[in-house]
Amino acid sequence: MADASLIGHESPEGHMPVERGKVAEFARATFSDRPIFTDPEAARQAGFRDVPAPPTFVVASAHFVPSDPGFSAKLDMKRILAGGAEWEFFRPLMAGDELTVRSRVVDVETKQGKRGQMTLITREVSYFDAGGELVQRMRSTVIEMPPMEAKAP
Amino acid sequence: MMVSPMPVLGQKGPDYEVGPLTRTDIVRYAGAGGDFNPIHHDEPFARSAGYPSVFGHGLLTAGILGGYVADWLGLGRLRKYSVRYVAQVWPGDRLACSGVVTNVTAGEDGVLVECTLSVERCAPDGTRQVVLTGAATALYAETA
Repeated sequence: MADASLIGHESPEGHMPVERGKVAEFARATFSDRPIFTDPEAARQAGFRDVPAPPTFVVASAHFVPSDPGFSAKLDMKRILAGGAEWEFFRPLMAGDELTVRSRVVDVETKQGKRGQMTLITREVSYFDAGGELVQRMRSTVIEMPPMEAKAP
Repeated sequence: MMVSPMPVLGQKGPDYEVGPLTRTDIVRYAGAGGDFNPIHHDEPFARSAGYPSVFGHGLLTAGILGGYVADWLGLGRLRKYSVRYVAQVWPGDRLACSGVVTNVTAGEDGVLVECTLSVERCAPDGTRQVVLTGAATALYAETA
């Protein structure tokens, strides 16, 4: 069960390489068949140094950051729903970028829903390039739904 | 495309539809995106949590719509993209993406184009339901 004590919780820092293969895999998985995501030459003709990352690609940092039991142990995965997400782009990411990933809980909010109390947990994940520049920022909110027992009989 | 002309206020994005979504598509996204919550691929787990079957990741729908908006406004121009998940996406659904330009403002760095976005699921039984609403902002460096 998540509570306000999670606010400010920082996950261990991660390191994420942006790789051509991972970009192509992600583009295919999201039904994007544009050549810029698979063909470096097509990417260069479109003005990118190498294949660019699709807009939501940074979520794949889930593969690269260390697991964080201090966060996940507080959530019941059967009750978790995705609420929403937001990305800010400070420059396009491209294969060859080496990202440092820092994540922290920025908000925990409770709301009364039809089935009982819901908890909204918002995390902010910042992505820095090899030069230390902030290149992208993501905020995502998950909703912990009320326990099943809380359902009306 | 990078060469796409700047959209004008009220302009709609192109029609775009994918699917029907299979469990394989959901698993492929789990691997690509790194989200292995079993509720998206483990049928007994999903049923034990009270769902009729596994369902798609919100981020899968967000990723599909992200590809759509990058195609429409230009990947290199995107400054912001946001989504809210409204309802779940089930195996068998087709997903229809749409968008409309809601604001065009000239600024120092160029012209900011804002749009609202939506994804509707089209179920095999004919049900149509909005599953995601979103917004995006793109910066067009050229003058209007």
